[in-house]
Amino acid sequence: MPAIFTVDPRTGVPLYLQLIEQVKRAVALGSLAPGEQLPTVKALALSLTINPNTVARAYRDLERDGVIETSPGRGSFVRADGASTAQSHRAMDDVAASVFADAAREAKTLGLSRARAAEIFSEQLDRWFPAGDDQQ
Amino acid sequence: MNPTNAIAIRNFTKRYGSFEAVSNLTLEVEPGSICGLLGPNGSGKTTTFKCLIGLARPTAGTLDVEGAPVHPETFETLAYVPERSALYEWMTVADHLEFNRRSYKTFDRKRAEELVDLFRLERKKKVGKLSKGQHTAVALVLAFSFRPRILILDEPASGLDPVFQRVVLDLIIEAASTGSTVVFSSHQIGQVERAADRVAILKNGKLIVDGTVDTLKGSEKIVEAIFDQSVPEVAGLSTDPRVRRIERSGRILRAYVKEDSDGIARRLSEFSPKNVSVLDLNLEDIFINAVGGEIPSIPGEGS
Repeated sequence: MPAIFTVDPRTGVPLYLQLIEQVKRAVALGSLAPGEQLPTVKALALSLTINPNTVARAYRDLERDGVIETSPGRGSFVRADGASTAQSHRAMDDVAASVFADAAREAKTLGLSRARAAEIFSEQLDRWFPAGDDQQ
Repeated sequence: MNPTNAIAIRNFTKRYGSFEAVSNLTLEVEPGSICGLLGPNGSGKTTTFKCLIGLARPTAGTLDVEGAPVHPETFETLAYVPERSALYEWMTVADHLEFNRRSYKTFDRKRAEELVDLFRLERKKKVGKLSKGQHTAVALVLAFSFRPRILILDEPASGLDPVFQRVVLDLIIEAASTGSTVVFSSHQIGQVERAADRVAILKNGKLIVDGTVDTLKGSEKIVEAIFDQSVPEVAGLSTDPRVRRIERSGRILRAYVKEDSDGIARRLSEFSPKNVSVLDLNLEDIFINAVGGEIPSIPGEGS
């Protein structure tokens, strides 16, 4: 089982949310492949030293969101269409939005004007999304 | 009586003479969950455990384990590890294992031997010759070896080094993942934050915080604004229903915000602070918030 998950209990972000985000990210990026089995609740709880109910809750939410499927007695697996579900796209949007929100707040408190902030942001967009690089 | 609760403490009060050790405590723990009990020394944790397992009588209220007050059969499925060792000093580690093997129908000998090795205990050593941490370890080996449905652990990590503290957490997590219910007290907030799904904080015998760790963390955020000069007067902030409490120290303003932390951050940024950040609360913040203002300062430091 690839040890791809880590959680930080010291932050204020609930552990089950940290876990959900990481699984969604792993599925969206492909480090968890469709059909791949996730660790059992007990195994993941022990390897992260966190409460088993926390893991179970994360798995329940992931199942509800259509990212994984659980069959009793066999375990939890990444759904064949897990990476392409609307939910997993929306999850990536959420991650991006929260990063942009932090950046915008920081720009504001640094005293930048809205126009200057937009300029800097647009420079960064040009750098990472060169012209002709179609949105996917 | 709700039979679905592994533990149900209702309106429990314990007085010693005129001293009220626990006041009107109500706490219910679901089966298969891990409940962490936090609180300063003398806040009533051990008293609660003692009354729960029948070592002391409550002054008022009821304390039920699996739907009824403890009775002799309860102890076939309940393990209690007290804060102070209750082992026989003249017996060896192996003697204790044998003693418990005869006492518990469900005693798992193989498991006990594994745990003895895990804690690196010497079987032939008399318990009286063991360190405090090793006493704790023996008590834990005995408790986890008969696979009880309910575990009551009073500071199970005390005297153990960080490696063995982690072993204790693993044992607690493993027990819960097989359906056992664990209630443990600890002074180490980080342990509770990791392992518990439920946390209860006692102060002076009263329950002051009770909820799931995730709910408690999600319930509040801190919006912190740092100003160049002094903190300005922000009209309406202290009466804003979104804000629970405001703290000012020097050039820093901290608002403890129940909802819409971004809205509060925007409002504060109108006053041109050097920086505004939205901070998540961790369990330590929640604990200090709740127990509040009782962190003694070291004499000679600061003012």
